[in-house]
Amino acid sequence: MLRREVWRHFDYWLFGAVLILCVFGIVMIRSAIAGNNELAGSVQSQTIYVALGMGIIIITASINYRTWSSLSRLMYVFGVVMLIGINIIGEAAFGSTRWFRAGVINIQPSELAKIIMIIVLADYFSRTADQPKNLIWIGKSALMTFGMVVWILLQPNLSTSIVVIVIWFVLMWISGLPTRYIIIFGILGVAIFALLVGLLAAGVDVPFIEPYQVNRIVNFLFPDPNARHGETYNIEQALITIGNGGLFGKGYGAGTQVQLRFLKVRHTDFIFSAMAEEFGFIGTTIVIGLLVFVVIRCLRVAQKANDVFGSLIAYGIAILIFFQMAVNIGVNLNVLPVTGLTLPFISYGGSSLISLVLGIGLVESVAAHSQTLDF
Amino acid sequence: MNENSSSPAPQLLSGWRLITTYLVIGGVVGFYLFRLFTIQILQSEAYLIRAEDNRTNIVRLPTQRGLIFDRNGTVLARNVASYNVVITPANLPADEGAVQEIYRRLSALIGVPVNNGEINQETVRNFTPCFNDLGIAQIVFIGDSLAPYSPVRVKCNIDETTAMVIREKSADLPGVEIEIEPIRDYPTGVLTSTIVGFLGPIPAIEQDYWESLGFVANRDKVGYAGVENSLNDLLMGKNGRRVVEVDNAGKIIRDVEPPLEPVPGNNIHLTIDVRLQAAARAALLNNMQFYNIRVGDPDRYTQGVVIVIDVRTGEILALVSHPTFENNRMARFIPAYYYEQLTRDPARPLFNHAISAEHSPGSVYKLSTAIGALNEGVVTPEQEIFDPGVIKLEQRFAPNDPRPRFEEYVCYTYKTTGEGHGDVNFVKGVGVSCNVYFYKLGGGYQDEVPNGGLGVWRLKEYAQALGYGRTFGIELPGEADGLVPDPTWKRRTVGENWATGDTYLAAVGEGYDLATPLQVLVSAATIANNGRMMKPTLIHEITNSEGEVIRPFVPQVIWDITKDPVINIYDENFFQTGEKKTVQPWVLEEVRKGMRYTTVDGTAALIFAGATFESAGKTGTAEYCDNVAREKGLCRRGNWPSHAWYVGFAPYNNPEIAVVAFVYNGGEGAVLAAPVVRRTMEAYFELKKIDEGD
Repeated sequence: MLRREVWRHFDYWLFGAVLILCVFGIVMIRSAIAGNNELAGSVQSQTIYVALGMGIIIITASINYRTWSSLSRLMYVFGVVMLIGINIIGEAAFGSTRWFRAGVINIQPSELAKIIMIIVLADYFSRTADQPKNLIWIGKSALMTFGMVVWILLQPNLSTSIVVIVIWFVLMWISGLPTRYIIIFGILGVAIFALLVGLLAAGVDVPFIEPYQVNRIVNFLFPDPNARHGETYNIEQALITIGNGGLFGKGYGAGTQVQLRFLKVRHTDFIFSAMAEEFGFIGTTIVIGLLVFVVIRCLRVAQKANDVFGSLIAYGIAILIFFQMAVNIGVNLNVLPVTGLTLPFISYGGSSLISLVLGIGLVESVAAHSQTLDF
Repeated sequence: MNENSSSPAPQLLSGWRLITTYLVIGGVVGFYLFRLFTIQILQSEAYLIRAEDNRTNIVRLPTQRGLIFDRNGTVLARNVASYNVVITPANLPADEGAVQEIYRRLSALIGVPVNNGEINQETVRNFTPCFNDLGIAQIVFIGDSLAPYSPVRVKCNIDETTAMVIREKSADLPGVEIEIEPIRDYPTGVLTSTIVGFLGPIPAIEQDYWESLGFVANRDKVGYAGVENSLNDLLMGKNGRRVVEVDNAGKIIRDVEPPLEPVPGNNIHLTIDVRLQAAARAALLNNMQFYNIRVGDPDRYTQGVVIVIDVRTGEILALVSHPTFENNRMARFIPAYYYEQLTRDPARPLFNHAISAEHSPGSVYKLSTAIGALNEGVVTPEQEIFDPGVIKLEQRFAPNDPRPRFEEYVCYTYKTTGEGHGDVNFVKGVGVSCNVYFYKLGGGYQDEVPNGGLGVWRLKEYAQALGYGRTFGIELPGEADGLVPDPTWKRRTVGENWATGDTYLAAVGEGYDLATPLQVLVSAATIANNGRMMKPTLIHEITNSEGEVIRPFVPQVIWDITKDPVINIYDENFFQTGEKKTVQPWVLEEVRKGMRYTTVDGTAALIFAGATFESAGKTGTAEYCDNVAREKGLCRRGNWPSHAWYVGFAPYNNPEIAVVAFVYNGGEGAVLAAPVVRRTMEAYFELKKIDEGD
């Protein structure tokens, strides 16, 4: 399995960048604990996840990604069953059921579902690469996607659902979705959103959508000048934290906003702000640069892949990482409404990390198994 | 398939779509970097300030307000501990059951129910510690959501025993503490409340000012009345200041700067002798009550004043204004119903009648006329003037008024006996307070007192020289300046010319004349002190918190009318010549003789009969007609209501003190006011004997 030629094309730059980001993540989480006893164990657990994650990358890389093509149906069924399972027997955490507790490791099936969906859709779009890109083609992929998304929405977990939908859409687009459909989709999307907002404003109970989710978006688009302190507190503090960093930052463990806990959810959603305060504009730019580097390496793998399936997997993972990063940083910079998306590789969270390293492993596999004729 | 894709396959992913992907990524990242640059570099300053603001907190350490003593060291105002039960939410145990157990135990001790009322926006917004009917759990819930590390008051002002019991049980009641809040206590209460005053919260309108000085609204208090108000700056001290770093929950992490300790306020030693104050107050109230019972109307005599001054130094030894208020009732907070009651009382308990009330001085004002007439040579001391009991005088509104009206001016004896005092010389004129004598002196009468007598302009000069028409700067809020009228004033304010009759009335302290009891007192004190007018003061000395004297008592002379030229000289057309003159010392001697006559053979002879000390004085029965009297229908022509006045000094030969007594609508001065002065003087000499015996 671990043949030598696999490692010849293994993307060490990608692996290295991911490793640096993960280690930096541990370092940042350690600072973000800021004396909170409940978070005290998170450094240790994140370290375990990172070690585990590096192993996963290597293992996944060594498995020929084409194997997954044949297993895609099985994986799809597995994913759906898992999601239904979580809805029935999952335990409640933060108001929505998302977690499976399997011994020490908590697995969030929806995180895994993202990777499964990338494989399933890559498989579908590569198989249909020569077919006409008509409504039937779109409809089939949509059915597949929403067959999975509906269970994620039920949790309810809007942000992951959006991630999956975005992956579906982008993979469909890169596979050659005609531009006129994009326009139709655009109009449809806006219409549905407007309808949702209208319905919720009128007090109608819309299935799958919790009022707080729409409120967040509405509050973001139309800030209420009389909003109570609590509604804007987190994002206000995030901005102060970022601004307080300045050019060089306050230094590791010396950010007052972080260490005195004015910044909330600083080890997950707002770890970007924490990092911006302690390492300043320069440090933050370097981290963004590293993340972009990871995305570009993935895209490079996608370009160099020698089949559409591998290419689409790498492309899908690149988009997954980029989208999560863009949304998370966007929230921190107050240009997007608050969502629960974490900063890839850096934010605390085992499930998220596991699914991301699985993705990186797949990309590495595509890189490693693309040049079989290389002697 | 593998064989076919040996070369890189640009056909796998559409070229332009890939380029679009890179462009989108580049665009988003570029925008984020720009945004990051804006926040971290361009707007960094503003966010830095807000971050600083987040983490630093200024704690104002409360200072101790200075104490107020009387001249002998009796405490008039002090700070005492008041006990509040507080709970610091963050210090409560984590176990909900244990918390409930603490609530139950505490509830049994202080009587606040464990659960009462509900938590909603309304109750949270209106929450005021100490003044709510919520249960312990609700109060703690609100406190916890506001500032978990700050103690929240559950019950205020519990008795000391309960406080000690709770302290003792503190091991069983984690999170529960006893907070000691200093509150003002006035051991002498109503006796000195007019002088001492009371405290209140920092008014909203002055909040910025006090906060700029480091005081805390809703916690620190400022003086609202009395010396608590007028000497507030001396008493208040300076709050300490700690700049601390706090975390998100408000917990203090460390001091950012070295803390500044609070500076306690200075202690004020008043000139008041609280024993004499008690005697004077008792004398006034007893006399008023005696006559209230006698006339069978408990509300007949309701307002009165006694003031005692040391004529040599200007120290106010006693200052009684009745009615007054109980300042201890306002120590913790000012109860609305009590304040309402005070403000609605027609006798105005919050009003300092001794220094703020302006009334007709009546005959006590004749002292000015007397000094003026002798000093200007209008009469000689020996010259006798005839008092027939009633004289008819022309009422002219202009020197050549074509139709003068004649009006009758009577002496008070005329009303009862139908006769006058007969031939009256200066000393008798003062002693028996002969109105006709002073009418003639003030306004002139035929050949007897030629050239229009003293005249209103010169009368005004002498009244002002004795302290009328001005404030002295006594250390109490609301000192009034009274009114010394002149023709210019009348034209401007009343819109009429000065009539000859106005001069006659002014000469006997009626008509437009207005004076405060303090002014009347100072006029007599100046005469007693050979013309040296001492600034009346309430401050004996000021000590700091260590007891060191930082401002000893130094008597202040306003002026000496026998040495300082304070009297303008007028020409025959009543224009000021620009020159000034003094009062000749023998004039004051004659006036003192006249005042002595009052207590020996004059209007107060009966009252002062058998006194163990020699005193001199002047009675006053000042007819008036103010809005109160008019509403009651008391203003009847020929039988006006009148205020009772008496001002005197003692001992006659070597004056030490001057005393004024005033009873609003008191009628005869000799009856309502003079006995009060006699008893106060007796108390003074008795106390002096006791002090010297020590």
